[in-house]
Amino acid sequence: MKKLIIIKYGELTTKKENINLFINTLKQNISKKLINYKIFINYDKGRMFIKGEEEDFKTIIKELQEVFGIHEIIIGYELDTLEYEKIEKQLVDLLKDKVFKTFKIETKRSNKKINLTSVEISSKIGSYLLKNISNIKVDVHNPELLINLELRNKESYIYFEKIKGLGGYPVGTLGKGILMLSGGIDSPVAGYMTIKRGVKIEALYFESPPHTSQEAKNKVISLAKILSKYNNEIKLHVINFTEIQESIYKNIPHEYLITIMRRMMYRIAEIIAGHENAKIIINGESIGQVASQTLTSMVAINEVVKIPVIRPLACFDKLEIINISKRINAYETSILPYEDCCTIFVPDHPVINPNTKTCHEYEELILFKDLIYKAIKNHEIIKINNQEKNKYKDIL
Amino acid sequence: MIYLDYSSTTPISYDVLESFNKVSKEYIGNPNSLHNLGVKSKDLINNATKQISDLLNISTDEIIYTSGATESNNLALIGVALANQKKGKHIIVSKLEHPSIYKICEYLETIGFKISYVNLKEDGLVDFDDLKQKIKPETILVSICAVNSETGVRQPLKMIRQIVKKENKSCLIHSDMTQSLGKVSINLRDVDLASFSIHKIYGPKGIGILYKNTDVKLMPLIHGSNKETELRPGTPATPLISASAKAIRLSLQDLDRRETFIKRLNEKIIKELSTYEDIKINNTKYSIPHIINISLMNIKPETFIHAMEEYEIYLGTNTACSSGELSASVMAIYNDKKRASQTIRISLSHLTTTDEINQFLTHFKTVYNKLNTLVAA
Repeated sequence: MKKLIIIKYGELTTKKENINLFINTLKQNISKKLINYKIFINYDKGRMFIKGEEEDFKTIIKELQEVFGIHEIIIGYELDTLEYEKIEKQLVDLLKDKVFKTFKIETKRSNKKINLTSVEISSKIGSYLLKNISNIKVDVHNPELLINLELRNKESYIYFEKIKGLGGYPVGTLGKGILMLSGGIDSPVAGYMTIKRGVKIEALYFESPPHTSQEAKNKVISLAKILSKYNNEIKLHVINFTEIQESIYKNIPHEYLITIMRRMMYRIAEIIAGHENAKIIINGESIGQVASQTLTSMVAINEVVKIPVIRPLACFDKLEIINISKRINAYETSILPYEDCCTIFVPDHPVINPNTKTCHEYEELILFKDLIYKAIKNHEIIKINNQEKNKYKDIL
Repeated sequence: MIYLDYSSTTPISYDVLESFNKVSKEYIGNPNSLHNLGVKSKDLINNATKQISDLLNISTDEIIYTSGATESNNLALIGVALANQKKGKHIIVSKLEHPSIYKICEYLETIGFKISYVNLKEDGLVDFDDLKQKIKPETILVSICAVNSETGVRQPLKMIRQIVKKENKSCLIHSDMTQSLGKVSINLRDVDLASFSIHKIYGPKGIGILYKNTDVKLMPLIHGSNKETELRPGTPATPLISASAKAIRLSLQDLDRRETFIKRLNEKIIKELSTYEDIKINNTKYSIPHIINISLMNIKPETFIHAMEEYEIYLGTNTACSSGELSASVMAIYNDKKRASQTIRISLSHLTTTDEINQFLTHFKTVYNKLNTLVAA
C-alpha cells in the first residue's frame, strides 16, 4: 500500500477533443511547480497520481493549490490489487487510527470488467467492516467518515478527504495574452482571472522616469511575482514611456491627455502582442470606474487596435475586485503609495466623452509613430520566476 | 579559552558578521531616501523583516527594532503604561525578572503607577493563585520573563495567559524572551509583547526587537521621524537589521538537536558539582539546560571567578547586569540571603564541547579545593 496524491481534473473533462493537450499541459505545469521536489507523476484520462516523499505532501499540496486546472486534491492510498479480500484487510488497517461511529462507502469503478456494480462493492466491503470493527454503523446520509474507493485497471485507491483545487483550465492551453499591469489593485486581479481560464500571460508595464520611481517599478515586479505563482513564470515587458508622455503633455490639450495616453499604450500593447504571438490584450478596466473607463472612452481608446481587448473586471464593483486582490495576497502590495504613469500628469477635468475624430486631429500634433517605435526598440524584458525564493540568500 | 558565560553575551557568528560587513559596505543608502540607493536599502530591510516575521510566526508590522532587550523592555512597559493609563495604573511583574524590569518599575512608581510582584512557588514557577488574586480591573499589564536569566527557570506562558485573560480580558501580557530565543521553542501568540536581544544569539551587539501585537497601543519613548518607525524613530540600521535576520534564522536551526546536546553537558556538570558538600545547585526542575546556577557557600563568587580566569575559563556571577549584588532570582526562589549572595552562573552553548566541560570540571576542582582550604584556615 502506497500513500500518494491524487488529482481530479477540473472542467477539462468536458473538453473532449482537446483532452490530451489539457492533461499534458497540466502535467507540465505541475512538474514545473514541483521542480524542487522528488516526485513521479503518471496519469490517465480521469486522474493524475503524484508519488513522492510523504513528509513533503503538506507543502506539495500547498503548491498544487496554486495550479489552475485542478478540481480536487486528494491524499490517498494505492493498492496493487482489485481483489476484495485484500482491499478489505488493508482498509481495516487504515481505519485503525480513525475515530468514527458512522460511515459510508462510495465506490467508483472505471474498470467495467469487474463483476459487481459499484453499489454491490460498497455493500460487500461495508459489511466486512461492520463485522471486523466494533461499535460502528452505516449512515448513508450524514456519515462521520466517508470512505472513497476507486477500482481502476489494476490498482484500487482508498481515500477519505478531498481538498478543493483552484478549478479553471491549465495555464497555456488557451494561448497567450498581454496583460497591461499598472501596479494598482485592478490589473493584477484581471491577470489572475485570465490565467484562470488557461491563458498564459505576459505583463506590460509603462514607466516614466524620473516622474515614476524605482519603487513603483519594484512594486510592479512584486505583483508580477505574485501572478507568476499561477503562471509558472512571467515575462515582464517594461516600456520607457517618458518621452511619449512628455510629448503628449506639451502638445495636446490637457482634457485629452489620458485618452491619448491610453491610445498610445494600446498601440504598444498590440505591437508587443504581435512580437510575442499573443492573441489578446488584457487589462483591469471596469466600466465607469474612472473617466477613461466610460463606454465612450473605451470606444475612443479601443479604436486604435484590431486585437481583442479582454476586460475581465468590466462588470465588477470595486469591493468585489478588492476581495479577490486580498485573496491572492496582492492587495497589500497594490496599495503601496507610489506614483504610476497614470497618476502623473492628471488633468483637472479629463474628458469623459472623448470624440474619436478629435483624437485623430490631436495625434497629428505629435510624431507618435516614431516615439512608439523608439520605445519598443529600447524596451526592457524582465523574467520573473517564483522559484527564486530569497534574493538576499547570501545576506539574510 | 573556555567561555561559559553565553547567557550574558555570545560571540558573533562568522556568517552573521559577514552579512553585517557586506551590508555596511554595499548598502550605504538611507532606507528613507527616495533615490535608488535608498530604495535598495529599504528593500533589503523589508526582506529581512519579512524573514524575521516568518520565523517568529508574526506579521511584519509587529516588529519594532530597538537597541537591545533593555530598550525593548522600556518601550514595552513604559509605552503600554503611558498609552493605557486611562484604563488603569496597575502593573504586575514576577520576582524572576531581569534587573532592567525592576528599574523600569521603580520609575513607573514615581509617575503614579502601582506595581505588584507576584510570588513564586518552591520550584520557581509563578504562583498562579497569587497571580489570579493580584489581577484587578485596573491592571493594564502583566510582565513575566519567559526564561529567568540567572536560574534558567522557564515559565508556562500559555497557562499564564489563560489565567490573566480570564481575570481581565483587556490586560496585556509582556514577556522578556531574551533568554528563550534560540534556546527553546517560543510561541508569540501566548503574549502581546515580547523583548529580544540579538547579541544573545550570536548576532551583533546594539540591536534588539520588541514584538508588539497589532492591536496593542504603545506610546513612543523617543520622538522623531516618519510613520513607519513611529514607535522607535531614527534611521533604520540596515546592517544590524540584516545581521539580526540571519542570526535569528541560524539560531532556530536544529533547535531540538542543540538542546539535547546541551542537556547532556548540563547533566554531566550537575552530576559532578552535586558531589561537593558546600555547593548548592540553584536550578529547579523547570530550568532550561543552558543555564546552571550554583552557590559556593564558603567561597566569594568574585574570588572564584577571578581564580578560574587564570585558566582562561570564563564564568558569570548572577547576571552581568547586576554583578556584585544579591541574586534577586535565587533570593526569590530560596529566600536564603547567604545562598543568594554566593552565586555563580555557568551558561552553555551548542558551541561548547565535551572536552571543554571536562577541562572545566578538572580546574573547577583544583580552584575549589585551593580556595576552600584558605577559607577553612
